[in-house]
Amino acid sequence: MKKLFTILAFIASLFAIIFSVLPISNLAVMPAVAAIFFGLIAYFLSKKAGKVKKIIQFTFLLTIIALAITTYKSVFNTTEVANTEAIEATENKLEEESMEELENLEIDLDESELEDILIE
Amino acid sequence: MTRIALLFLFLVSLTLHAQNTAIGFNEKLTYTASYNMSGILTDLAEVTMETTPVQTSKAKLLRLKCKATTYSKWDNFFKIRDLYESYVNPNSLRPYLYNRDINEGGYHKNMKYTFSHKTKTVKTVQTKKSGWQEKKTVSIGTDTKDIISTLYTIRTFDLTNLSPGTSKIFTILFDREEIKAKVTYLGKETIPTAIGSKTCYKISLGSASSNTVTGTLWLTADENKIPVYGKFKIPVGTGELKIKSASGLKN
Repeated sequence: MKKLFTILAFIASLFAIIFSVLPISNLAVMPAVAAIFFGLIAYFLSKKAGKVKKIIQFTFLLTIIALAITTYKSVFNTTEVANTEAIEATENKLEEESMEELENLEIDLDESELEDILIE
Repeated sequence: MTRIALLFLFLVSLTLHAQNTAIGFNEKLTYTASYNMSGILTDLAEVTMETTPVQTSKAKLLRLKCKATTYSKWDNFFKIRDLYESYVNPNSLRPYLYNRDINEGGYHKNMKYTFSHKTKTVKTVQTKKSGWQEKKTVSIGTDTKDIISTLYTIRTFDLTNLSPGTSKIFTILFDREEIKAKVTYLGKETIPTAIGSKTCYKISLGSASSNTVTGTLWLTADENKIPVYGKFKIPVGTGELKIKSASGLKN
């Protein structure tokens, strides 16, 4: 039982640290909470048995680091859009091509339908 | 008798022309697309839906443009730069030209549809990154539209007197195939959004053939019927679309 909770806590803390360095850092909270929960059970079971293994302490350390990274990222990192030059160039290119295409296209618009449309 | 017949014909012709009273010429809606897993949100991309007027020598058209751009933190992992645009009749939102240029994690594809409503055909040109090109002509039905003009068309329907559960089938041309989509009106709901608390029409979107629901959309219960919130099913967790800002609204 003690071994099982130690392994679970260690795996959860690994997930927490991996998630925290990825853009999905918000999701690191879930494995971090699991790691703390399993870690505490493993810690008390080990304490009862007389000896607390170093791996449990290491698990807590990893979880704390993961939570620190997650908190830092959520406070200081802003969500912004960058590197839009390529898509803007595509937009302009498509617009030019489309205008050419539309000029050559037979548009079966009903003129009366468009009479009351005002372009602002 | 002739007068009654004429009046009847006039009324029928009025109902046949779905009038666009919701979408203006310079509307800009900005959204945040996020991933929701057990209540924890992760922002993925910014989605913009824009309309602009287009004047050709023959007609005034409406350009509907949708753009999806991943936030900079995602760009190194999975960069998305998607652009969808449709040139439509400003009143009936009938498409004439459709462009889809997608760039997803290095995969690039461009698709162009040129609609010919008289012959009920669409000339398609697919171009890939390497310059490889494929041209095909496909036949379409009378009401077939591209995905963008369908999205906007949903907004032109009068939902005020509909009873929950009423559904409508749309035919969408996607990847050169006609797909039947089903839109079901679910009722009214008031939800908090970034542009204030809004009473909305809740509608579900799904496939008509398999009868599955893929997403739910909340449209403001006013003349503009702008989509303010969307929820979409994905294999793990849910995808969400939340409005950030809205400008240039028609009403």
